[in-house]
Amino acid sequence: MTDCGCEKAKAELEEYLHNELRKEDAADIAEHIRNCADCSSEVELGHVLTLAVQRACRETAPEELRAQVLLRLRQIQSSH
Amino acid sequence: MECEPPELAQLQELGRPPELSQLHWGAMTNTPDGQAEAAETADSENPGSATTTPDPDELRALFEEQALPYMDQLYAAAMRMTRNPADAADLVQETFIKAFAAFGQFQQGTNLKAWLYRIQTNTFINTYRKKQRDPYQGTIDELEDWQLGGAESATSTSSRSAEAEAIDHLPDSAVKDALQSIPEDFRLAVYFADVEGFSYQEIADIMKTPVGTVMSRLHRGRRLLRELLADHARGRSATAAPVPRSTR
Repeated sequence: MTDCGCEKAKAELEEYLHNELRKEDAADIAEHIRNCADCSSEVELGHVLTLAVQRACRETAPEELRAQVLLRLRQIQSSH
Repeated sequence: MECEPPELAQLQELGRPPELSQLHWGAMTNTPDGQAEAAETADSENPGSATTTPDPDELRALFEEQALPYMDQLYAAAMRMTRNPADAADLVQETFIKAFAAFGQFQQGTNLKAWLYRIQTNTFINTYRKKQRDPYQGTIDELEDWQLGGAESATSTSSRSAEAEAIDHLPDSAVKDALQSIPEDFRLAVYFADVEGFSYQEIADIMKTPVGTVMSRLHRGRRLLRELLADHARGRSATAAPVPRSTR
């Protein structure tokens, strides 16, 4: 595990945040972030953005939709 | 199993919704009494042997038990796709009906959530997007970053911390508005990755696009979103409480 430097960390930040890197690459970036305030603030901002999107996208399907789907499934099944 | 047609076996192996029945489904949506006809179509594609075809009641019970719990999530995605509750409800209903008809071909143990999302995304693209077709769509991936616009994002550590704090305090409605205003393909990539936690490969399968395109859409979508939200926070800060510049 080695500090990869800012350039690589910034280039692969999104893949790091989305768990798309190989274990060794992710470890290198994690190591760099521990030592670099600049890159760690980027990571923090990335996390905050993800959490904000998650919060905003929570929805509950309307009860009528649930009932309607159940009804349609039964209709389809009994129609043959 | 030996009586199974080869293309079906292949589909099961891939664990994907069958393209074959989707062709029929395309025709179905224009038929007034579509579901009965479609159910027959799906049935006739099924290798009808008493030993391999599960009891219809059992199949429906299994479908309800396994697929229906995803309704809230599919509805949330449908809201991001159609941008209104009535179309979102219709899209989700259509998704479940199609999924149910193809459920006999779904391979247990493979990713049901991704399978449902694939059906829903496909349905959305084939029906809803055609209705509201935006000529801008389809070329969006080729645009250069500068053509997408947006303000420069924060470059210093302290202003980035302030930006993070401001975004963290934004109301959900502001984040929703920002999401709705970015190009659709970017919005869906962000939704699939950040809300559903799908891998790039899974998103590529759902959106039927190469992984490189998924990456580009996700990066650009998140960058636009970040800029819009930072702008929004700055706009609010002009009239309301100022965003702390450097408090430490």
